Amino acid sequence: MSSAILFKDIDEPGLGTLAVYQRRGGYGDVLRKGLSMPREALVNELVESGLRGRGGAGFSMGKKASFMPKGGMDKYLVCNADESEPGTFKDRELMTKSPHMLIEGMILAAYAAGATKSFIYIRGEYAQQADILDAAVAEAYADGLLGENILGFDFSLELVVHRGAGAYICGEETGLLDSLEGKRGNPRLKPPFPANQGLYQGPTLINNVETLMTIPHILGMGAAKYAEIGVENSTGTKLISVSGHVKRPGNYEIELGMSAREIIYGLCGGIEGDHEVKLWFPGGSSSPVLTSDDLDLGYDFDSLAKAGSMLGSGAIIVVDDQTSVVEVCLKLAKFYRHESCGKCTPCREGTQWTVKMLERMKSGTATPMDLDIMASVQEQITGHCLCVLGDAMAMPVGSMIAKFRPEFEEYIEAARERAERELVASLDAGLVGSAT
Amino acid sequence: MPRPERKLITFSIDGREVEAPANMMLVDAAKFGDVEIPVFCYEPKLGAPVGACRMCLVDIEGIPKLQTGCSTPVKDGMVVHTQTRRVKDAQQSVVEFLLINHPLDCPVCDKGGECPLQDVSFGWGGGMTRFVEPKRHFKKPLELSPLIAIDRERCILCYRCVRFSQELSEDYQLVLHERSAATFVGTFDGHPYVAPFSGNILELCPVGALTSMPYRFRARPWDIENAGSVCTLCPAQCNVAFTVRDDRVLRVLARENEEVDDGWLCDKGRFAYQSIHAEERVVAPMVREDGVLREVTWERALEAAKAALGGAQGRIAGLAGGETTNEEGFLLQRLVRDVHGSPHVDSGAGLDRSGLLALGDPGLQATVADLEFAHTVLVLGTEPVDDAPILDLRLRKGVRRNRVKLAVATSRPSSLDPNATLAVRYAPGAEAAFVTALSAAFYGGAVDEPAQAAGADAGAVHELATLLRTSGGDQPGDVVVLYGQRVLAEGEAVTAPLLKLAGALGLSGRPGAGLLGVPTATNGRGLREAGVLPDAGPGLTAVPSAGHGATGIAEATAAGELSVLYLLHTDPLRDEPQRAVWERALEAATHVIAHAGFLTETIREHATVVFPAESYAEKEGTLVHPDGRLQRLRPAIGRPAGVRAAWQVLDELARSAGAEHGVHTVHSATQQLFAAVAFYAGLSVDAIGAKGVRWWEDDARAAAWPQESGLRAAISDLVAKTPLSRTPDYEEAPTPSGLGAADGATNGALRLGTYQSIWAAAEVEASPALKFLHPHQRVELSPADAARLGIEHGEHVTVGSAGATVEAVAHLRNESPAGSAFLQSGIPEDAANVLQGPLVEIRKATPK
Amino acid sequence: MSHGTQEEPAPTGDLTLGQHVGSGEVPRYQGGSRTPGWDDAVDLTKDPAVIPDPATVHVPEELRAEIEAHMAKYPDERSAAIPALMAAQRRHVWCSPEAIEQVACVMRLTPGYLVAVASFYDMLETSPVGRHRVYVCTNISCSLRGADALLERVVEEVGDDPDFNVRSFECLGACDIAPMASVDDVYVGPVELDDVPALIGQVRSGAEVLPEKQILRRKSVDPNAGSTS
Ligand SMILES: Cc1cc2nc3c(=O)[nH]c(=O)nc-3n(C[C@H](O)[C@H](O)[C@H](O)COP(=O)(O)O)c2cc1C
Ligand code: SF4
Ligand code: FES
Repeated sequence: MSSAILFKDIDEPGLGTLAVYQRRGGYGDVLRKGLSMPREALVNELVESGLRGRGGAGFSMGKKASFMPKGGMDKYLVCNADESEPGTFKDRELMTKSPHMLIEGMILAAYAAGATKSFIYIRGEYAQQADILDAAVAEAYADGLLGENILGFDFSLELVVHRGAGAYICGEETGLLDSLEGKRGNPRLKPPFPANQGLYQGPTLINNVETLMTIPHILGMGAAKYAEIGVENSTGTKLISVSGHVKRPGNYEIELGMSAREIIYGLCGGIEGDHEVKLWFPGGSSSPVLTSDDLDLGYDFDSLAKAGSMLGSGAIIVVDDQTSVVEVCLKLAKFYRHESCGKCTPCREGTQWTVKMLERMKSGTATPMDLDIMASVQEQITGHCLCVLGDAMAMPVGSMIAKFRPEFEEYIEAARERAERELVASLDAGLVGSAT
Repeated sequence: MPRPERKLITFSIDGREVEAPANMMLVDAAKFGDVEIPVFCYEPKLGAPVGACRMCLVDIEGIPKLQTGCSTPVKDGMVVHTQTRRVKDAQQSVVEFLLINHPLDCPVCDKGGECPLQDVSFGWGGGMTRFVEPKRHFKKPLELSPLIAIDRERCILCYRCVRFSQELSEDYQLVLHERSAATFVGTFDGHPYVAPFSGNILELCPVGALTSMPYRFRARPWDIENAGSVCTLCPAQCNVAFTVRDDRVLRVLARENEEVDDGWLCDKGRFAYQSIHAEERVVAPMVREDGVLREVTWERALEAAKAALGGAQGRIAGLAGGETTNEEGFLLQRLVRDVHGSPHVDSGAGLDRSGLLALGDPGLQATVADLEFAHTVLVLGTEPVDDAPILDLRLRKGVRRNRVKLAVATSRPSSLDPNATLAVRYAPGAEAAFVTALSAAFYGGAVDEPAQAAGADAGAVHELATLLRTSGGDQPGDVVVLYGQRVLAEGEAVTAPLLKLAGALGLSGRPGAGLLGVPTATNGRGLREAGVLPDAGPGLTAVPSAGHGATGIAEATAAGELSVLYLLHTDPLRDEPQRAVWERALEAATHVIAHAGFLTETIREHATVVFPAESYAEKEGTLVHPDGRLQRLRPAIGRPAGVRAAWQVLDELARSAGAEHGVHTVHSATQQLFAAVAFYAGLSVDAIGAKGVRWWEDDARAAAWPQESGLRAAISDLVAKTPLSRTPDYEEAPTPSGLGAADGATNGALRLGTYQSIWAAAEVEASPALKFLHPHQRVELSPADAARLGIEHGEHVTVGSAGATVEAVAHLRNESPAGSAFLQSGIPEDAANVLQGPLVEIRKATPK
Repeated sequence: MSHGTQEEPAPTGDLTLGQHVGSGEVPRYQGGSRTPGWDDAVDLTKDPAVIPDPATVHVPEELRAEIEAHMAKYPDERSAAIPALMAAQRRHVWCSPEAIEQVACVMRLTPGYLVAVASFYDMLETSPVGRHRVYVCTNISCSLRGADALLERVVEEVGDDPDFNVRSFECLGACDIAPMASVDDVYVGPVELDDVPALIGQVRSGAEVLPEKQILRRKSVDPNAGSTS
């Protein structure tokens, strides 16, 4: 069966306009059906579909919605469109091409959560997508699909597109909330969880773009039918962003459970230059790396977890065997050092220490003992931070050391020799001590 | 907002069953079991925990990840471990991480020996580091302000200082820049961090990143002693600990007293200790000879004073300044009244005895802590940050943490306006009309007329009444009215409607609610209770015949009716509202005997005898806080050789006039005072102790508050919920002729309002570190008035009335109400008291 | 060790490659910045930076209107901080002290609050930059496909043109067109080294940049997605 749900006819011209979207049935029976169900029934439907969050943590969408308290206080729905996890670009394509599908998903999610105000927090770099969303939101308001009494139902929703300004940590849901409140995007202590005290202290449901966009389809086909797609505990289809050394990088919608090999060699046409896979990140740069030994794993939440990694945001980054693992590791560590919000000690100091050690490995001033220290620093970070950004570096770096220790050692040795040769050469040339 | 009740629970920590209040954070609850969990970022005074440093990780059974003890409320049955390998590893990791970039420059660090980072590293660190890369190095120390140095290498980014600036003092000047390991503490665009409470960050910083400019390298913790006392620089009377080395005060730290100061200090209290050791301080007695003040022996000075007092035949008057202790005030009034038979003694209470008795009624008193837990607080005619700074923090705390509703009613825009649910303006000097309007709004009386007379919006007055009336849901709830003493200038015209208001709000006898008056002088309340009043003796007892109040004294002296002025710690040209009459009085007096720490211009020109005054760090005695708390001043250092205690001088003068009172120590004076004041009965300095005692909280003492025949009835009549029986007298606020009238544009008359900045104080002037804060006169104007007068922001202008003028810099404020102009009082030059209101004219200064 | 190098995270950002500093009439701190950094003391002659008083701070009318419109969208006006700073930055090119004061004046916040926010986010510039933003993604996926060389090539091509703000950027969410760049908010890629002169030329002349390589024109690669057109 074709796995096109979200991506079905995604390139249809004009899909981003209200007219075409409606012509294709958007904002129609499905929305009406959703809004005429009791809230609890809608939440149940979502629970039954087995839909798990597409943003990274993979938590059941329906359960999260069910945590929203009852009561008359202001409640909020926030769509996480920060998409800053390296390797991830699925939400971008979805929002570019089908903004109304997101709005429709948000209306349903807000209804389920009892929220009357909603926000799309989109990363500032996605200015073009934000413009597209702004236009779509304006169209929806003009057509009574947002605002008071949507489609004549006793349900009203406001939607604001809020642009960020460049900070990975604002993808973390509580950092996002602080940022949306106009502050520095520092994550908050949990508990309280957003469902209890989120935006402006009110109960808040936060979901990823793809998660929200899936809702109308679940409702359209019925939860049971949706749950039949995919494998146990990983129902439905998933958009995966594949990048790196593959021949055809891009977004693919797959049925969960498809093997990684099928994705990399089938959909993506294999490795550029027909090299071998050295390592791959299965779920964005924060997931522990896997190797070519793991290519036959099913691409689903449980299989990847069992293999010691995770599905994360669904972004596969493929690195070929021509690339140095140390260089990849350094890139990665630098990214997390730069993106650490700086609030908690292990993350702030651990990321920069790791970078410094890797830089010494590169410059030839490290010893294999540093490799042990680096591994231990990753352990000192893991589980000790305020949010999981620290772990997001520590886990892949730790996995690289564990899986490629000999290569690290060789690299360190080679760099030392090179540095020594250069030192001797410069001594010979009488350069030392003159200028630095 | 009723105060939270605490209920005890039992939890287990390191194998021991421990009782602790429910929902207390684990790091605090652990102390009940004698377990210390190390912290850096946690500081409950700063509000909700941030969980940033991760030093306090603990193992809680049933939770897979280690949890931060600073942010986990303890629950019944919780099982906590702090000594497991896992916890110790985590603690060692955090210490190792923190020390990555922290320079180990302890030998040259001012924090050495009193540094939490040193202590925690020693107690919980691994004792070694594996970090071999170069540490970051930056220039150090840098100035963050003239008072604070910052050493960013040492900063461990614990968030404490910025949280103080952002969430406590709410000045929001100190922030974090950048993110990640590049984060650093700083201000906007290189502006200095200058704010009334900035110095508190020095005490909050757990490392040597923030150090005090005046204290740096003056002492090590093992060189110093701490001496607890009370700051006498304003009515807030914060509790302090003086850091003393070699009999010199080198630093002032907060001595936490939750009921008084919450553990904070303002920068005046923190840094003006420098005045104690200032060069200019008067440390020897002086007598005027041939028109010049000369240092003389004590014998000569005392002789001169005796002769002056003896020769005056009772035509003397005594005036006590705000820093005068209860004992000194008590002895002064006895000297003037009993020994020399003159009724003229005052401490600037500004209200007659019946008014003081009514407003001071024990049943109507609110406390500082009530400001934090009331449903609604009305700030009436006072700017707390200037008049009693620490209360500003308390009000902000109440609003922020306990959702206290704040209402502000002032003539000058208040720094609390942004925190207020409602801010109402009235014209300067129109307090009586304003309070009348407000009170009328409760009783269905006429509001429009008095509101209009007050220059206030009648709608806003109604809104304020509604806010107060509904603060507890459908009834008033706990309301605290925090009013400034200046509000009472019109006497009964204000006290009557104020008491009506108190009645309408049911404040009498209601715990957590009431009135809280901020006197203009530090010990204003104590001096009144000690009888430094023209119409009441110690304990506010009636006197046979009333004397003149401060202004009356000046007038009588100017008229030649009085010949000797005894000035105890006061400079009337600065402290009194009417400078002109005081100038004449000082000119006309034959003798002016002054106890003074500094030779202000007034003293230099007019005093005939000067007794050097003790500084507040040298003094012993008692004070009364505005909310009725008796507090003890204890000497932290010895007096300079040439200085004697004022009580000794006053007693000596009494004795030489033939009155033997048996005052041999300051304690005997205290005992005599306590014996003389009925509502202090049974108190002793020991009972007052380190934290003080609010006298009216004891029922027997409260019952001893004077009950005059008819007075109680009058009060209860006023407080009763009946409409005002008569139309109160209030003066109409003057309407500036330039307003409203179509042809008024040529006339620049504005209503004059005054205020006294926190920095307008002799001690501030004498402290080199605070020099930069000396206020210069400026006149605050609304943009509309400025435009009409063609005056620009920053321009030099003269402000004048009735022939007198002061120079000032025009300061435009968007929030300033049109029609009013505000000038500062209490400054040495160009102070507002030179002018006679109510109207002033503003002109561009003619270039010199 | 000086700051501003890659080894040492520096307060002024360690990703400011190719940043150009203007002509220099304004007072500068060490290192050429107009804004003080980690290594600078405060200027004791300045007044403390409190909330600017509208009576004394001029805010351009359109900017005020734009900021107020943003403020009106949120239950708590403070939420408008980032959009307001962005608006001011569009006008002033960077979040200069003047720009920040204007925002602070309209939003009734201290400039300190806003500079703390601005310096947290990569797209808000707290030191002077050129007007045209060229963000070259150098994160993993792009660097696997030649991003570092691309950045070097762009820096070289731009030279010392003060109108450009060329910087390496973290993953821009377009690894499918690696190596890529965001040029004044327009995503283009894959950018070959040979495309660079044209690209920079187009920016200089105000033309559309690499039209065929713009991401908005890109069709899905998923064979199942198809298009009904
Ligand atoms: C450092 C970090 C970055 C994250 N970035 C994103 C992101 O860019 N987009 C996203 O949807 N979720 C991101 N998440 C996950 C969110 O915190 C959150 O789990 C998610 O938005 C919930 O939505 P979902 O349940 O629909 O997946 C991030 C998490 C962390 C710890
Ligand atoms: S300067 Fe001190 S108080 Fe401020 S963040 Fe650094 S360590 Fe904490
Ligand atoms: S004290 Fe708990 S995290 Fe800092």
